[in-house]
Amino acid sequence: MAGALGFKGCQKIRGPQIRNLLEAKEFFLFDCDGVIWHGEDAITGAPNVVNSLIRHGKYVFFVTNNCTRPRENYVSKFYRLGFTDVMQEQIFSSSYCSALYLRDVAKVQGKVFVIGCEGMRKELRDAGVPFVEEVDAPDATIYNCALAPDVKAVLVGHDDTLTFLKLAKASCYLRDPDCLFLATDNDPWHPLSGGRILPGSGCLTAALEVASGRKATVIGKPSRFMFECISSQFSGVDPAQCLMVGDRLETDMLFGSNCGLDTMLTLTGVSQMEEAQEYRDSELSHKQRLVPDYVVDTIADFLPAFEELD
Amino acid sequence: MAGSKCTRLSGALVKQLLDTVDSVLFDCDGVIWRGDQAVPGAAEVINLLKENGKKVFFVTNNSTKTRKMYADKMARMGFNVTEDEVFGTAYCSAVYLKTVCKLDGKVYLIGSNALKQELEAVGIQQTGVGPDHISGGQIDWANVPLDPEVKAVLVGFDEHFSYMKMNRALQYLTQPGCLFVGTNTDTRLPLEGGKAVPGTGCLLRAVETAAQRQAQTVGKPNHFMFDCVASRFGLDRSRCLMVGDRLDTDIMLGSNCGLKTLLTLTGVSTVADAEAHQKSGSAERQGMVPDYYVESIADLLPALQG
Repeated sequence: MAGALGFKGCQKIRGPQIRNLLEAKEFFLFDCDGVIWHGEDAITGAPNVVNSLIRHGKYVFFVTNNCTRPRENYVSKFYRLGFTDVMQEQIFSSSYCSALYLRDVAKVQGKVFVIGCEGMRKELRDAGVPFVEEVDAPDATIYNCALAPDVKAVLVGHDDTLTFLKLAKASCYLRDPDCLFLATDNDPWHPLSGGRILPGSGCLTAALEVASGRKATVIGKPSRFMFECISSQFSGVDPAQCLMVGDRLETDMLFGSNCGLDTMLTLTGVSQMEEAQEYRDSELSHKQRLVPDYVVDTIADFLPAFEELD
Repeated sequence: MAGSKCTRLSGALVKQLLDTVDSVLFDCDGVIWRGDQAVPGAAEVINLLKENGKKVFFVTNNSTKTRKMYADKMARMGFNVTEDEVFGTAYCSAVYLKTVCKLDGKVYLIGSNALKQELEAVGIQQTGVGPDHISGGQIDWANVPLDPEVKAVLVGFDEHFSYMKMNRALQYLTQPGCLFVGTNTDTRLPLEGGKAVPGTGCLLRAVETAAQRQAQTVGKPNHFMFDCVASRFGLDRSRCLMVGDRLDTDIMLGSNCGLKTLLTLTGVSTVADAEAHQKSGSAERQGMVPDYYVESIADLLPALQG
């Protein structure tokens, strides 16, 4: 898929090419983990890049599948790591967007059963979406526990307090075909610094899909929904003027393709250049959708282009 | 092969079929019992088959009981059965790890005490069974201490399944050469009181997703369960009958191993399900079409009593 500036897929770009891209695009969508920060450390130069884009009048959005923080926590984290100009309105997380989906798209009448974390529950509370609050007795089992009568949706995300009972309850609720089945995201694992990985929301989603025989509606990348949230809140967001910058081919690049955006892979995170090239060299069209238009070693590579713009 | 399948077994046909068979393999849940309730007439059927000189075996994907626990349950229900006639996935997974994988090392186990006992009975040590709650933060989880003797991850049914267990399994599986085995892929436990209980298949899929890797599964429809029985008792496949209630596990196992197959309708699958597979164009789905079906295994009684 050729980029707006006529480059072939998967091209590493620097300097003047980046400057042209910065001039051509109005809207910059960034993934967070592995793109602008690693855990609690900003990627060198990233705060400068984001602040410069904003100073140059560009729209900057953050689109993350990480459902564990409510947006106000993200704002604190951005500030703490040096991204001082970022406001809550620019942050689109899978937990925030799940709450929006339940309230505005599904218009769910009834409660949501959540297999997730406090970040998700806070976003639901803030959006005014009621959810099941009961806590299970330590000796409760699926055979003797009560099921809430008014559950109209099951939302699954990251849950480190997962129990078998929660999975069992969710399966029961999902037997009602009118009960929605939503997942914040499908990521199978997440990297931590030092090359370690942790299980992601995708594991629990998969478990429930097997239990229920149903497919979840996935809110996060690569689904288009988070882009639709952005477009509905900001006028004039033209896909042709957007650049999606991410580190994961299967989520960020595919998300960009699905929404008709140009895509840029940064090599500071999950996916490697070789993987992108493999997808590019494959004959299968669905694999082509994971190929980035552009590649940079780090988003800090944008910085020289700003100097020239100034 | 195609035309004469999915025939209702009744009348003279029952004795005709039984005369061509020396061994009968029964699934348990939904066939001879439902939970703790025997299917009416089931004990008589088993006992009469034995009196008629047939060998009888039990082949179940349920990993929560040892062979001894099954034998005890059966004795309580009036079935005349010995321990070595029962093949559950707890026992078969232990045998699989020992004889096929030739495992030299420990197992990280997501499973029941029964699975632990069957492993220990073949000399395999495990770590991990029981509750495992989260503590600490993400860095701690990613850096959980790993037992260097663990060389395999085994996933069976585990009511204590948790994020931490999924995490430990993932950390072991990222080590080169770590084996990955699942007892079975059943999506649901047999329904009790109208509630759906997620089966081992769900837990296994969660771990497979994290590790981005498929486990080797031991249970039906994989032929290993039959191989276990056959190698111990020298069975002639052409004179074996597999009786089950699930097309995708019991009947499929029978087809995979060249056995005659009988669907009983006291459990999960229906005749409509079988006919749908039969009418589909798919060669793979034909393996899920039983040779015969009965409403309940009690339908075999007249031929056995006569």
